[in-house]
Amino acid sequence: MDFGFSEQQVMLRTTARGFLTREYPKARIRAVFREEKGYDPKVWHDMAELGWQGLVLPAEYEGTEAGFLDLVILFEEMGRNIVPGPFFSTVAHCSLALLEFGTKEQKSRFLPPVARGEEIWTLALIEESASYSPSEINMPAVAKGDGYVLSGSKVFVADAHVANYMLVVARTGESSGAGGITVFVVETKEPGISIEWMPTMAGDRQFRVTFDKVRVPKSSVLGSTGGGWGIVEFILQRAAVLKCAEMSGACQAVLDMTSAYAKDRVQFDRPIGSFQGVQMKLADMVIDIDAIQYLLYQAAWEISIGKASQSHISAAKAKAAEAFQTICIEGMTAHGAIGFTEDCDLGFYYRRVREAEFTGGNTGLHLEKIAAGLDL
Amino acid sequence: MDFTLDEASTKLQAEISAFAKKEMPKAERELYLMIDQECPDFEFEMSMSKKLAQRGWLTMSWPKEYGGGGASYFEQTAYEMEIAYQSIPGAWMGISGIQWVGPVIMALGTQEQKKKYLPLIAAGEKDGVWCTGYSEPNAGSDLANLQTRAVKTGDKYIINGQKVWTSQAHHARWCWCLVRTTPMTEKKHHGLSLIIVDMKSPGVTVRPLLNFYGRHHFNEVFFENVEVPAANLVGMENKGWYHLMQALVHERRSFAPSMYGVCKKAVETLVEYAKNAKHEGEPLSQCVGVRNQLASIAVDLEALRLFAFQITWLVSQGGMPIYEASRNKLMADMLTRRIGLAGAEILGAYSQVDPYASSLARLNGKIQGWYLGFPGNHIAAGTSEVEKSVIAQFKLGLPKSY
Repeated sequence: MDFGFSEQQVMLRTTARGFLTREYPKARIRAVFREEKGYDPKVWHDMAELGWQGLVLPAEYEGTEAGFLDLVILFEEMGRNIVPGPFFSTVAHCSLALLEFGTKEQKSRFLPPVARGEEIWTLALIEESASYSPSEINMPAVAKGDGYVLSGSKVFVADAHVANYMLVVARTGESSGAGGITVFVVETKEPGISIEWMPTMAGDRQFRVTFDKVRVPKSSVLGSTGGGWGIVEFILQRAAVLKCAEMSGACQAVLDMTSAYAKDRVQFDRPIGSFQGVQMKLADMVIDIDAIQYLLYQAAWEISIGKASQSHISAAKAKAAEAFQTICIEGMTAHGAIGFTEDCDLGFYYRRVREAEFTGGNTGLHLEKIAAGLDL
Repeated sequence: MDFTLDEASTKLQAEISAFAKKEMPKAERELYLMIDQECPDFEFEMSMSKKLAQRGWLTMSWPKEYGGGGASYFEQTAYEMEIAYQSIPGAWMGISGIQWVGPVIMALGTQEQKKKYLPLIAAGEKDGVWCTGYSEPNAGSDLANLQTRAVKTGDKYIINGQKVWTSQAHHARWCWCLVRTTPMTEKKHHGLSLIIVDMKSPGVTVRPLLNFYGRHHFNEVFFENVEVPAANLVGMENKGWYHLMQALVHERRSFAPSMYGVCKKAVETLVEYAKNAKHEGEPLSQCVGVRNQLASIAVDLEALRLFAFQITWLVSQGGMPIYEASRNKLMADMLTRRIGLAGAEILGAYSQVDPYASSLARLNGKIQGWYLGFPGNHIAAGTSEVEKSVIAQFKLGLPKSY
């Protein structure tokens, strides 16, 4: 066993932290959230220059050939600094699945522009009931001629306003369970696609996407027809780990902020951090964050060597979601009234809790997977 | 990073599992799953110590020259997890010949001390069973406040005072005793020394101190003009506090593995129970509340396993765990609490049955015993409040709060 990071991994973290705090100071992020796109395209392209969008892609697709654990480090830093933009939807939700399930043609066509930061992707999975259960994925894709016709709508689709392509999960078969589901690559400018903004408390960009008899060719199928749920599970496993990584970084940021404030803020002639009541909150945060980190690194490392463990992935995601919420609340209350103001960054993190809990699978879903793993 | 447990450790766990099946009939294993890891039958416990010694496991962590097996830190952790998981008693030689008495004597003891004490521990002899005399009535969390006095007279120390919460003192042959050798020092933790006291010495009185559910685990130990040879001083006089800190590194690594083992067994026991018990005609395991609760406990259980190995890795790299030890203890304590509360809920009305007095107690009273016992974990070997203060102070650099 080895619980240490390699030199390159330490360097990646240092580079990422330096770049992100320089390019996205909190004041800039606040301004960017008010702009129409919700992120800074120049920073997006600079990230591509650093090789981030293609971090785990092979060199033949213009990637950097790093491992999944490296990607986790990058996402931790993004979560730490609350980086706006379509990085999660493009990289976590789509590029990994394209690499795993795409044909040679699909990979050559779609992956290099992702690595260059030229094309943005998103996943259209969730429907009105907001459930990850395969029985709740019912948008039909009806075979017609040499292709399919998609009709229906998807919700909680991130960054649909800037995405060039979507992975759309639809039902091609009769069955109501995991069988009969197919994943399609769909260009967002196809006629019949319309989007409606779903403003969120986090300030990220999520949309309802409606498909009105959208025609797609057979060649747009990713993987096999009817075999789409396997792809969804592949995506959700990785998305769960990478969202957990974002939360891990965010939790660390909240702890650092709160710890610094507790040393600085004086009441009754001493720093509030000298009071045991405040110390208890902070100590609990340390334990939670260590737990998140090791659960996360183990789950990511197992993915990196091709031995993904659903129980370990779910444990990491469930722990992070629960602890992120608690840490934000305790961090805010430890700050006192200043923590409740717009100027304080704490609320910024708290506002992201619900999105993070849902993306990559909600806590109920992951607890159920763990229970199944316990043979319950 | 690499999260694979090495082959030697994995093999060792399989061997211990087979050993447990052979040496401990199921009924006995059932009986000994106790949160305080204490076996109610001392003779049986010692017979297991002997067998562990014969297999070369009891002191596997010690260097070969002292009767040990020279095992790696990872093997030790794996061993401690499995021993606890299999509910095998007798692995610690009291409190605790294996975990700190032996290692500190090896590091600081004289040749005579090494020759006299280490073989008894390594062989699993009754005369190798220890108790640890740290706490006193006015020295709990504030341990350096202890008042038991050792006065040097010629080649002897004369000891007077009282220790309390002394676990296993009624079985121990030796007491690993922290005493005050210099009364007036600028700081209270100066002037303390580690001295080995023969529990058979005249003037030593052990009085049982029953816990709130009537179990005899700890004691009061009184010292009245007890004569101890000066040769029983461990390390340097007045440096006892620093020697104790050194001892803690061993204790700190070995805490989480055994707690992980017992907690894992308890979770599996509850899973089995929930699958067999019925609620409104359906297996209890089909209730969402039960599933969520056990799944959520399993998350922290896995975190504790990783914490145990992380600290093992740190020690194997030559590092000194500080806040990590407090973190591990707090995680383990929280887990025992969650298991106790969830277990009581799962047992329902049967959770109130006296585990020690009624044949109607479900699961042989294990879960009820756990429910009664877990608050003690939050107190023993450092209260949760103290452990959290350690994290605040040493991990986060916050001002001392006490």
